[in-house]
Amino acid sequence: MSEAVLKVENLHVRFEVAGYRVHAVNGLSYQLRAGRTLAIVGESGSGKTVSSRALMGLLPPNATVSGSARIGSVELVGLPEEDMRRHRGADLAMVFQDPTRSLNPTMRIGTQITEAIRAHTRVEPAAAKRRALELLSLVRIPDPNRRFHQYPHQLSGGMRQRVMIAIALAADPKVLIADEATTALDVTTQAQIMELLAELRSRLGTAIILISHDLGLAASYADDVIVMYAGRAVEYAPTRILFAQMRMPYTRALFDAIPRLERESHTLLPVTPGQPPDLTALPAGCPFEPRCPRARPECRDSRPPFVEHEVGHWWACWNPCKDGEQLMTELGV
Amino acid sequence: MALTEVQVSSSAVVADETAPTRTRAWLRKLHIGVPAGLLLLIFFACFVLPLVAPIPKPTGGDILNSLQPAFTPGHILGTDDNGNDILARILVGGRTSLFVALTVNLLGLVIGGGLGALAAQAGGIVDSIIMRLFDVLIAIPSLALIVAVSLSLGPGVRNTILTLSFFSVPAFARISRAETLRLREQPFMVAARLSGTSTWRIVVRHLAPNIGPQLMTFAMLGLGIVMVIEGALSFLGLGIRPPAPSWGNMIFQGQLSLSGTPMLVVWPSIALFLTVVGFNQLGEAVRLRWSGR
Amino acid sequence: MSDVATTSPAPRVFSAVLGSPALRLIVKRLLTAIPILLGVSILMFVLLNLIPGSAALQLLGPEATPEQIARLEHDMGLDRPPVERYLEWLWNALQGDLGRSLVSRQPVTDVLPTRLAVTGELVALAFLISLTVAIPLALLAARRPNRFLDRVSMVVSTAGLSVANYVLALLLVLLFAVKLGWFPAIGYTPVSKGLGDNLYSLALPAFAMAFPLLCFYTRFLRGDLVDQMQGEDYVMTARAKGLGPWQVLLRHAFRNSSFGLITIVGLNISGLIGATVIIESIFSLPGIGQYLLQGILTRDYIVVQAIVIIFAIITVLANLMADVLYAVLDPRIRYGTN
Repeated sequence: MSEAVLKVENLHVRFEVAGYRVHAVNGLSYQLRAGRTLAIVGESGSGKTVSSRALMGLLPPNATVSGSARIGSVELVGLPEEDMRRHRGADLAMVFQDPTRSLNPTMRIGTQITEAIRAHTRVEPAAAKRRALELLSLVRIPDPNRRFHQYPHQLSGGMRQRVMIAIALAADPKVLIADEATTALDVTTQAQIMELLAELRSRLGTAIILISHDLGLAASYADDVIVMYAGRAVEYAPTRILFAQMRMPYTRALFDAIPRLERESHTLLPVTPGQPPDLTALPAGCPFEPRCPRARPECRDSRPPFVEHEVGHWWACWNPCKDGEQLMTELGV
Repeated sequence: MALTEVQVSSSAVVADETAPTRTRAWLRKLHIGVPAGLLLLIFFACFVLPLVAPIPKPTGGDILNSLQPAFTPGHILGTDDNGNDILARILVGGRTSLFVALTVNLLGLVIGGGLGALAAQAGGIVDSIIMRLFDVLIAIPSLALIVAVSLSLGPGVRNTILTLSFFSVPAFARISRAETLRLREQPFMVAARLSGTSTWRIVVRHLAPNIGPQLMTFAMLGLGIVMVIEGALSFLGLGIRPPAPSWGNMIFQGQLSLSGTPMLVVWPSIALFLTVVGFNQLGEAVRLRWSGR
Repeated sequence: MSDVATTSPAPRVFSAVLGSPALRLIVKRLLTAIPILLGVSILMFVLLNLIPGSAALQLLGPEATPEQIARLEHDMGLDRPPVERYLEWLWNALQGDLGRSLVSRQPVTDVLPTRLAVTGELVALAFLISLTVAIPLALLAARRPNRFLDRVSMVVSTAGLSVANYVLALLLVLLFAVKLGWFPAIGYTPVSKGLGDNLYSLALPAFAMAFPLLCFYTRFLRGDLVDQMQGEDYVMTARAKGLGPWQVLLRHAFRNSSFGLITIVGLNISGLIGATVIIESIFSLPGIGQYLLQGILTRDYIVVQAIVIIFAIITVLANLMADVLYAVLDPRIRYGTN
């Protein structure tokens, strides 16, 4: 088992918005090992994006981060901005969701890549250009010499995302965070980008964090999966183990809600009713309790702890799903 | 970029609220309240005060009484070089200038706004002709146009209003046309057209309420602009002619004795400044209110 | 998806301009400018013929008898039908002859070069001053939004936009010329008599013209920069690369804002020229603004006609240039979209 490249412990992120405190992340912990892919899965508002932006120090000024996030021996939480800058791109890099908006439309893509290179190493323009062309080949962009001089709008969506990956890899980061990196792309391109990331991971040994709402994506491409709900991790396991046996009812519900061809046509999609909790007013008990078909009285009274109940498999639930149980029948579908 | 979706709802658990909320709501009210209050004060002073308070007449002063300093009994701000009471001239001049500005903007709003919307709705030849005509007016720098037009029409309140309309009507027409064009493509407008709604109904029920706010905001900002241009015109001797007071011609007259009695320029300048600031701030605040929410 | 056919690796601006979009834009705009300019000349001619009291009356004064006025009008050619006079004017104008001033008998085109030079220098100085102050100020304000410098500069620029330029001019004269004696109140020293003196004589008027522009540009630029820094995803990408705040502000945000700024500067030229009418009067500068005003006050319709047309031509060209520049600078327009 390789050494942990990134150790996150008890991460909390709080926002002050319009006079309210929003508790976006509440005690997230995980470890990322070199060369492995970790998927962080959850719906909008679960805190998955906020937690990674917190690692990179890219949150707006009204955010407060506490807890610990260590990359190597460096503690990222509380790091002053000037120091944080040295780690951004060089140790931790991010690929964002919408490549159209994430690239500066008035700057040539070659320049946007060399900028990332020269932010961390003093190189001459010629050397930076060579490296940029290497990166363009690495992300499988054909005819890199021509593309180097082009502007983002002259490239297709898939190619733009490849450019974003090239930019992210420019300074040889240990960890690459793909924040919904394929959500804005069509399915075919999505697959291509995911294959690319997998290939890069095995070639370069970069650890990857995949943030997504798509459990299916996690199933196909991740080694480990964390499921988040209301700012907390509610289940964590290597992919095989998780999908063999989902314990936390929320994970089960997410899984069941994925549209599948095998399902009978014209049957209702088993969508969990209700909304995620108000992050300014989190309940004392389990946050999923109001929507959970397996809820018991103790679920409202106290929060279930996030514990390694089985080997390598962590969850936070008072009444987890048993082996072979079907959540679908319990929902009356 | 919304990172989280905040549902600020009432729930069983007490929400975690911080203090600044209430202050911020208060500040927003001030934003509109202060300039509105200032303008109300100015309007009151110019339109009501001369009728009720014992203020001397603005014209027909005794030349032997000229250039009295401030706080002379009977003349709070002193007198000008013709012996006229400065405060009276400022208040009455303000009345004239405000009246001109309001009328000019009203004309612009109605005629310009109407024509612009018409051009955009009608499209085709009508649009081309109307906009070409306005393009001719817009091609000439505003002040030059105004000065040239005032030459033909002559001085005086009524003519000044007509002259300044050459500036306001094209300006409103442009905005109105742009806004109408933008609105035309909105789904609800397309739906109205397709369902056979009569043009009149479309204009009254759909168009006017939607471009109305923008035009009103523009009108408010325009009030400040027109006041300044009217001042410029009167300053150049082409707008409101002495002895009738206007802040512009008062500033011009004061210029002649700038070194000796600077206050002759300063008082009307302050009045003009405060009024324009009031209009601009109110216009800004209203714009934010209407677009931000 | 097909790519734009760019054969050379770094297409030059030149070939981009000669390539279709920008050139077509220029030609189209120039073609539409012609009827507009014609319209301007007709409008002015109509207006000027409605004037009560002709130039002859002005020249001779109120004591003149009707016969004297009629005779002078005949000499000046003012008694011919308006359409004939207009067409004659137009014919001459197209050949470069803008007529002779009714008052001074000097050909307008003789006087123009020096006067244009004065106004040109004034306007150029105004832009220079306003941009030199506005750009750094806006950058500093946008660097720390809502802090002290930002708030102060926003309040001052907002207030500054409410000050009439003639008021400002007089106050500047009051303070700097009358009370402090640092600058001359009126008068113009041409460059030939020394650049220092020349700039000295233009200092106050240039600043009076620059101030409202300065306020406007500061507000605009600061707003645009802050919008980008807080709202645009590519700013997040730039930060994620490890770039420092100034690098992000300058290389990304300001770069994009500069296009809008250039367009606005081009569009402002028209308003600035209009402002010269009043500023040149206050400071007694022999530019075309003052020439126009004099022409108006003396009912010299030849001069007024000529200057207004020139103003209109400058306006049309300035707006055109602003649009073309934007098309050339914005790569999305320059290279077209897929």
